[in-house]
Formats: sequence, structure tokens, C-alpha cells
Amino acid sequence: MNMNNTHLPPELPSFFHELVGNNNTNATTAITDTTSAGVASEVSRRSFMKLSGLVGGGLVLGGFGAISTQKAFAQEAADVSTLSAYVQIKPDGRITLFSKNPECGQGIKTGLPLIIAEELDCAWADVDVVQADVDAAKYGANQFAGGSLSTPMNWMGMRQAGATARAMILAAAAKQLKLPVADLTTADSKVLHAASNRSWSYGEFAELAATMPVPEVASLTLKDQSQFKLLGRRFTGVDNLKIVTGKPLFGADTQMEGMVYATFTKSPQIAGKATSFNEAHIKSLDGIVDAFIVEPFLDARFFSANSGTHFGGVAIVATSTWAAIKAKRELEVQWDTSTAETATWDDLVARATALKDQDGEPLMVNVGPPGPNATRAPADRGDVAAAFASAAKTLEEFYEYPYVSHAQLEPETTTALFKDGKIEIWAPAQIPQGGEAGAAVVAGVEPVNSTLHMTRIGGGFGRKLANDYVFEAAAIAKRMEGRPVKLQWTREDDMKHDFYRPGGFHSYKAALDADGKLTAFQDHFISHTGNGTGPMTSADLAPNIFPMDRVPNLKLTQTLFQNGIPTGPMRAPASNALAFSFQSFVHELAVASGKSHVQFMLDTLGDENAAETPQGMHRGRAANVIRTVAERSGLDQPSEPGRAKGLSFYFCHSGYVAQVAEVEVRANKEVKVHKVWAVADLGFIHNLSAAESQLEGGVIDGLSQLFNAKITFNNGTIQQQNFHQYPLLRMPQTPALDTYFIPAGEFPPTGGGEPSMPPILAAVTNAIFNATGERIRKMPLSDLGYRLV
Amino acid sequence: MATLQINGQTLDIGTIDPSTPLLWVLRDTLGLVGTKYGCGIAQCGACTVHLNGAPVRSCQIPVGNLTNEAITTIEGLAAADGSLTKVQAAWVAEDVPQCGYCQAGQIMSATALLQRNPNPTDADIDAAMSGNLCRCATYTRIKRAIKVAAGQQPATAFYNAAAVNGERA
Repeated sequence: MNMNNTHLPPELPSFFHELVGNNNTNATTAITDTTSAGVASEVSRRSFMKLSGLVGGGLVLGGFGAISTQKAFAQEAADVSTLSAYVQIKPDGRITLFSKNPECGQGIKTGLPLIIAEELDCAWADVDVVQADVDAAKYGANQFAGGSLSTPMNWMGMRQAGATARAMILAAAAKQLKLPVADLTTADSKVLHAASNRSWSYGEFAELAATMPVPEVASLTLKDQSQFKLLGRRFTGVDNLKIVTGKPLFGADTQMEGMVYATFTKSPQIAGKATSFNEAHIKSLDGIVDAFIVEPFLDARFFSANSGTHFGGVAIVATSTWAAIKAKRELEVQWDTSTAETATWDDLVARATALKDQDGEPLMVNVGPPGPNATRAPADRGDVAAAFASAAKTLEEFYEYPYVSHAQLEPETTTALFKDGKIEIWAPAQIPQGGEAGAAVVAGVEPVNSTLHMTRIGGGFGRKLANDYVFEAAAIAKRMEGRPVKLQWTREDDMKHDFYRPGGFHSYKAALDADGKLTAFQDHFISHTGNGTGPMTSADLAPNIFPMDRVPNLKLTQTLFQNGIPTGPMRAPASNALAFSFQSFVHELAVASGKSHVQFMLDTLGDENAAETPQGMHRGRAANVIRTVAERSGLDQPSEPGRAKGLSFYFCHSGYVAQVAEVEVRANKEVKVHKVWAVADLGFIHNLSAAESQLEGGVIDGLSQLFNAKITFNNGTIQQQNFHQYPLLRMPQTPALDTYFIPAGEFPPTGGGEPSMPPILAAVTNAIFNATGERIRKMPLSDLGYRLV
Repeated sequence: MATLQINGQTLDIGTIDPSTPLLWVLRDTLGLVGTKYGCGIAQCGACTVHLNGAPVRSCQIPVGNLTNEAITTIEGLAAADGSLTKVQAAWVAEDVPQCGYCQAGQIMSATALLQRNPNPTDADIDAAMSGNLCRCATYTRIKRAIKVAAGQQPATAFYNAAAVNGERA
């Protein structure tokens, strides 16, 4: 990976491999990183507690440590008392809570303030929520939306933020009322004095509270879960009213005086460079303000969460979006394709298929802490050859899945203004700190002179972890000095220039003994490399996926094709494809073993009370979601005639999810998915509505991908351009959904966005097998003649 | 000088390229940014507005083709005092949005459906809403909100449902 951008905050790369699902990193060791940015996507519960302390402590110190910060805040509005970077209180008792992470539909703009409000002990109806700006000094390095981490990495920090403000209010109340602090309690944004049966609004003490010493984190008393008044219920989103009334909220809704509008056109053949274009003609068109070539910024083939690289291309700046789009259609560009990509998907499929009976090179994985000096060793254990020699049954199968585009509904857009040596950005960005830092580099200003304002993100799914469009806007704005520029990608730009979920191939071989027990597992994984030194982003494999984590004899090999079609994280990176092939193959093994699917999985999991697996999977929690979904769906009961059910389980991003799909396969391979049961253990659920939304959305997203999603390329040129060539699931195809969350007990929250999606892929293909006997080993199903109805 | 009839008002759009899709006139010229661009080829429905009460894709309507039609956008649904329509209120209370980008178009399609068919069946809802993509896949909640707005089923229990009509900063 190209990680050598030294202009950016040094904190960012330490979470990078976790964020993008680089499974070559052993998560248990990853979190021994002692910086506050050392967050992990596969965090064990035991490790989580340690992690939470680190991240939370860092955040609170960042937010509360500097009294000068409070003063600076307080000067903004005379009647507002600022207790911290997260909490402001007005004399009338209105409370403003700042939500520090980007909102991309996962519900975090509601979720983080809810956590603060719980420990602040305030009434939710008294709260106004404001999106915080990008500010690492106030909010730490983790202002990003990715890895299903927004909730777990902030859970403890937000609780401490709320409890800190509450303690400062109580201290101020005690001082102002001349009462012992021990005699005072709180509830619903009020300070209570039980002895005299009196109560006062928080607003009455806010001004004094803002001057009180900030208590040590260790001195705070957090609520026990049983004391929660808010968390655990259903809450509606804080932006809902603006959304349903069409108020400005999203990136492209930014409007400024004197604004001009831009399009940006890149080489259809990936990584081609613009050398010239029909400049005179373009500039002669109505409404055109300027048109010019923008040089590349680093190498956009290599996804980087913080460099936000972009390809060069041709910018057209106009007096309206339409004028810019219309001129773009008349653009004729000469591209230098001497270093452009030349890969063709059909060729890669043919080459991979020819390799299916061979082993590849040993697949190397980290055996200690990650980093440039990590110790690497082949992913081998036991004696695979001996296990196959003594096997009662052996299965060998080849699986294939394609490249996929994010297709978030909001095409990439950014508004930028370069003026007085400063760059100011309004952008929907999943890693806004990286966007802000990189915009400074592009604009040639000091980092302190770059400001990025987070807008609501109209769908991310990982696409907007890359800041390429932010930097294109910064480059155009620099040229248009003094005038705000709104860059609008077309849908065609988006689909042709994504960081795609990579396609891949697996040649599996597994052994069962006479008792139907899994004894050996082998995978020749065929993937892609852009620079010859390792797999492309999210195009890797680690030996910690069920059932590889549970098999005594394991051997992984890989072949990397030279192919630099840009790839990047998409919802449940790596898992969003691996869950299909691995959990379909697990069902093949279960059928061969003669056991039920549930029994085969439980037997493979083994001792449910044993220690966690290396990637942090608790076997008892895994077994529980499998059993629960089987019970809720009546998996062992016969379906109506013509229908069948299929099961799948997957663990990723610290979440345990099992799903059952009930399908009917009609004439001409028309498939109706009637119902899906989804059971998740995501630890404590703090906003049930948001969690349900993620679980429902994950299932439907997965169905869409399974049946229809496929990006192909020919000589490095993407073949799909818009939704007519890349169909998404629509309402009539949506199944009935039954969602259920395992009560958390002592387990803290994890994120729901990513683990909700992967199991559905194999749940459906396993159901189709149970209905028809046809085993599916290739996505999308439309390639096999199936059609979702 | 051209004018358009939008949300009950006559609005001046100046001198404008007649090929400009209504979508971009709404967004760039008039600052009515609630109507969204998603695909530009009438595949996603994010740009849905009402033309004489019927849902249309504003990315496909050249402004030069319009004369005196009554255009309604998402900004024109709520009453002047800010009170929401039943459809809008159900969308808020059932917590339909995830990212929210498609929801203006969804609401315009649902509103047109209930105006012509106040008691739709599941099949009616599927047919009326199949032109609107939701990449976050909020389809089950969209359907539920339409049924709640139609009075066909009770609202889901939310902790803060009472705050639905309270404007928040």
C-alpha cells in the first residue's frame, strides 16, 4: 500500500489497517498500540475494556484538559456556558450537545449525544444536537466513520463527557446553594435536594459550572446499566425533521454568495493522464467560467484513508451545475495511457479458473504486532497432507465473486473556497480529518489554514473514506481563488471511479473424518496486487475466519494478479465477499457430514465456554445467535411447499450475526425471498431504532449485492456507468424481516453497520440449495440466470 | 424573464438555458436544495417532485417545456406554520431515514400515492414506490410509514415520539 504521505496527521495510519479490514493484522496485538488512535475492528471483549479506557481517556483529556478552550468557546456567545467541547448549557436550561463523528446514515449524530445525555442525566427533550467541526485538539484523532467503530470507540469517552459535565454542575450547585454536594442528586436536567424537596434547572448553575475545575476521570462515577433512563430504547434521528422538509443538510446543499459550479472528468481507462483537451470549444460554451487540466495528486490507484489521492483530469467551472455538465458532454480529452491500467475482468476469471487445482505462494500473515517490522509467517498449522490422507470425505470446490461498486445515492461532491491563503471545505467525508489535512497539501497552505466542515453524508458505505473528490475540489478552488466552487460528480463519474470491492477466487479443499468432524481446511486465494508488494486494499485474507479459526490442520496459499484497478473498503470490507464463499462452503461440508447445518457449526465451534478465538470471537456468543435464529425461524420445521430455508453465520467487526432466509425458486429461476430472520449480538444496544435500521439495511444491501452487483473492466476501463447497468434492489423485492438482538448482559456496545450484512449472502444461496439442490458458487446470481423478484 | 409556479408562489428564474432540467433550476437558481440529484437518468427517483399533482423526475424535465404547471417540491409540503403532513410526520415518527438522501423523493412519491389512493394495498405501495431507490434499504420502514400515514396501522413505540413536531436546532 502506498502509505508514504508524510504531510498528514501521524495518528491516522495507526488505525488505517483496521479500518479497511486488513485482516493480516492480528487484532489482539493491534490494540496494544499505546496511542489513543489504536483502535481495532476485531476487538475482543477483554481487550475492548482496555481499549475503551485508552480512547475514552484520550478523548476526555483532549476535550476537557484545556481550560483555555472553555474560555475560547465561552466568548462565542455571551449567554452560553461551555462546560466542555461536548456540552453547552443556556440559562433557560436548553442543552447543546456536540456530536463529533461524521453521520452517514448509521445514526451516530443521534447516538453519541444520547450517550452523553444519559450520564449528564438530562431530559432528551431539552437537548439540541450540533455537528462538531473537525478539531483533533478538542475531539482526538478518531473523528471518522468506519469499521463499525463510531459507537464502540466513543462509548466510554462520551459517558465520561456526560458524567464530567454533571459533576461540574453538581459542584457549582453545591457552591451556589451552599449545600454539601453529597446532599444533591440529579434527574431530567435538574439538580435535586431531597431533604428540602427542592429542584433547580441545570441552567441556573451553568455559568458557574463552566468555571469549576474539571474533575479527574478516575473520580467520576458512571451509571450502572440498570440505572439507564434513556439508553436501550428507540430514538428517532435528530435530523429527521430537516430531512422530511428538505432543509439544507447534505454536502451539495451548501450555497454561497458568488458560487461557481464544477465538474471533473478523469480518464475512462484508469490512471490515464490528461495531456490536452478541446479547450477553446469548451470555453466558448454558454456559462463556462474556466476549463483547465488538474495534475494528479499522488497515485489514486492505492486507496489511502488519509492521503485521499486523486487522478488528474479536466475541470470545467461554470455558472451553474447544468452548464458544467452540458460542457462535460462535449469534452474531448487526449489521455496519456502509457501507465494506465490494462486489466480485463474476463481474462482474470479465465486465468484464475485455470489455477484452481494448484496451490499458490504461501499466504503470509503477521504473527506479532503489526507495522513495518512485523514478523510474518505462512498461514499454516498442523499437517494438512496427513489429514487429507486419512479423511473419510474430501471436498474441493471453486468459488468466484466480482468487483462491486458502493453506489451510495449521493454522488461525490464538495464545496471549497480558497481565499486569503486559506482553504475552507464543506464536504460529506467519512475521514474528515484526512480531508482537511490533505486539502492543505493540495492548496499549498499550512495545515492550520485548512478547515473542513462536516456535512451529513448521503450514504458512505466506505466510499467516502477516500477524500479524492475533496482534493479535486481543493485543487479547482485554488485556481478559482476568491470564489466558492461546488464540485459535483455525475453518477457516471462515481461508478467509473470508485475504490471498488475487489473480486476474488477461492479454491477450497476440506477434509471430514468418519464422525463428520472438520479436520483440515485449505484455500488457494486468488486476488490482486497493484505494486507487487502485497494485496490491494480489502483484497486480502486472514486465517481467522470461521471455520478456519477452528480447524486443527490449515494451509492457505495465494496468487496475486498484477491488477491496479482501485479497490477500497466497502461495508464489511473483505467479509462482504468472504462470508459468501466461506459460509456456502461450510454448508457444503455440513451436508457432506450428514449432520444438520446447525449441528455441524456447533460441533465445529467446539467448547462454548472456552477462551475467545484469536480474532476475539466468543464461541458461546456465536453459538447463541445460531441457535436463536434457528428457533425464531423454525429452521428445522418444513416450509410451505415450494419454499426452503437456509442458514448462515458470520462474525466480524466484533459483531455476531446469524440469518435465515426463506426462498421460493419459481420457473425460469425467479427467486422470491419471502422472509429473513436476523439475530445479532452487538453487545449493549443504546438506540434500538438505529440498530434495527442497520440490521434491516444490511440484509437488503446484501440481497442487492448477491443477485445483481457486478462491476467489470476491459483494458482498465470500467464498463458500468449508471443504475440501469448496476441495478439496486427496489421495494417490491424486499422480503419480510424479523430482527432480534441478544440481550447484552455485561458486553459493551459494538457497531452494527458492517456485521449486519455478510451472513445474508450464503443464507440465500444455502436456501436455494435446500430448495433445488443446485449449489451456487459464484456471485452475482444474475450471472447464473437467477432473478430476484 | 421566465417564471415558474412553485409551492403556490410565482418565482422568477431569470434568463435561463431552456434545456436546463427542472432539478438544477430548483437547486442552483432557486436554492430549493431539498430535491436531490442521484443519477440524472430517471432511475433513482431522488429528484421526484409533483407536476400538477403527479410525481415526476425533475432531472428529465427541461425547464423550457414548462409553462404554468403547478410544481410542488419537498419544501412545499408542510403548512406555512411548519406543521407537517401526515406522510412527513409518519416519516419522522417511524424513524425512516438512514442517510436520508433519497427520502425527499420517497416522500413525494408516497404523498402522490396517498392523494390518489388513500387506502393502498401492499401491491399498490410497491408499484407506486418502485421508482425510488434507497441504497440504505429503508424500504420496510417506508412501507410502514405509508401505512401509518394512511391510518392502516398504529405507530411504532418510540421513546421520544412526543418530540416529533418540536423543531430542533
